[in-house]
Amino acid sequence: MNIFQMFWEYRTYFASGIQYTLLLAAIGVVCGFILGMLVSLLRMSRFRILRFIGTVWVEFLRGTPMVVQLFIIHYGLVSVGIKFTPIESGAITLTINSSAYLAEIFRAGIQGVDKGQAEAARSLGMTGGMTMRHIVLPQAVKSVLPAIGNEFITIIKESSIVSFIGVTDLMYQAQAVNMITYDFLTPLLIIAAIYFVMTFTLSKLLGLFERRLNTDDHR
Amino acid sequence: MITVKDLHKSFGKLNILKGVNIEIAKGEVVVVIGPSGSGKSTFLRCLNLLETPTSGEIKFEGESITDKKHDINLTREKMGMVFQQFNLFPHKTVLENITLAPVKVKKMPQAAAEKIALELLQTVGLADKKDAYPTQLSGGQKQRIAIARALAMQPHVMLFDEPTSALDPEMVGEVLEVMKKLAEGGMTMVIVTHEMGFAREVGDRIIFMDGGQIMEEGTPSQVFSNPQNIRTKDFLSKVL
Repeated sequence: MNIFQMFWEYRTYFASGIQYTLLLAAIGVVCGFILGMLVSLLRMSRFRILRFIGTVWVEFLRGTPMVVQLFIIHYGLVSVGIKFTPIESGAITLTINSSAYLAEIFRAGIQGVDKGQAEAARSLGMTGGMTMRHIVLPQAVKSVLPAIGNEFITIIKESSIVSFIGVTDLMYQAQAVNMITYDFLTPLLIIAAIYFVMTFTLSKLLGLFERRLNTDDHR
Repeated sequence: MITVKDLHKSFGKLNILKGVNIEIAKGEVVVVIGPSGSGKSTFLRCLNLLETPTSGEIKFEGESITDKKHDINLTREKMGMVFQQFNLFPHKTVLENITLAPVKVKKMPQAAAEKIALELLQTVGLADKKDAYPTQLSGGQKQRIAIARALAMQPHVMLFDEPTSALDPEMVGEVLEVMKKLAEGGMTMVIVTHEMGFAREVGDRIIFMDGGQIMEEGTPSQVFSNPQNIRTKDFLSKVL
């Protein structure tokens, strides 16, 4: 059976895998983005205790393997009475893990915005929050867009670890197909191609978005 | 209108301001001159608390703004500031730069804010640039927009922090022209500048600062033609 025949024969497996992979990646990207922004603000807070919490969050999540985090959340927390479905565990792990990386990216972006920008906004009577929202963050996000794009692509790829806890994502389906067919190579080549199409499309879309922003103000 | 009492500011061990006292009246144009490192910019930035004074008191329209309980954002609405580096918001158009604060801070309807903005653009001679982004403008144009942006909040006083120091020489004139018009309109202004000709022409009072203190003050003719302090004489002999 060649690669195309296998893809067609087991298309429902792959299609369902794509759904879960995309779902988890989308949750990881969106929630990780929001949470990452909050964590980056914690890390730059005036209050030492908040900065400490932010730092611990980032260092712990960057410094331990994601599989370990996933197992702690899915299997470990059961022993203290917290039980999640595999999808929930996967979504939580991807979100908190990407939030740590994104927080560092945002922090670099925010600190890279010229101090004069915030001063000008404050001198007009804007509060610290307004200044962050309307002046600093838009410029910060824009300057770190390529790095954010990298992180999004990483999330799509790394989402494959959720197959370990039984989420029926692409990786899981490839294993299911090779159990049925005893072919260990072809299903993996098929999902490799699917992952590549997803990340490549995303990277092109981000490139387009970046250029759109750049033509906006010619910076 | 503004009363400053025994203002001190230090950065770590470095004492920048060592007891500044000044009273600024409504409608007055005060020009602060002095060598670099004399603390004149720091003094100006203390007036709207962009720098937090180490000690001393600043009163604005009768209220102590250095009081911990005072909401400085309310005061800043009434104090416009123009920076050496313009600090226009690069991700917003000229019109958005001007209308942002009135709409967000003063909760002015967008249409009303735009009307004010367009009038101000007319005043600074840049009505045709309303949809441009800051990077499409020359330095002089940027600074005139920055002035319009500050004026859009309808401030009671305008602070200028070396507004022409980052400009190419041929663009200094257009910015000073706008400032002169503003002064003639009765705006209270505090200007830190190296433009001595402008200081002499437009200033009601000249303040000479050195070493974190006011060394001499008086009318332009007093300070420029007949300086009393030895350091004022020395400084003026170098710059005039």
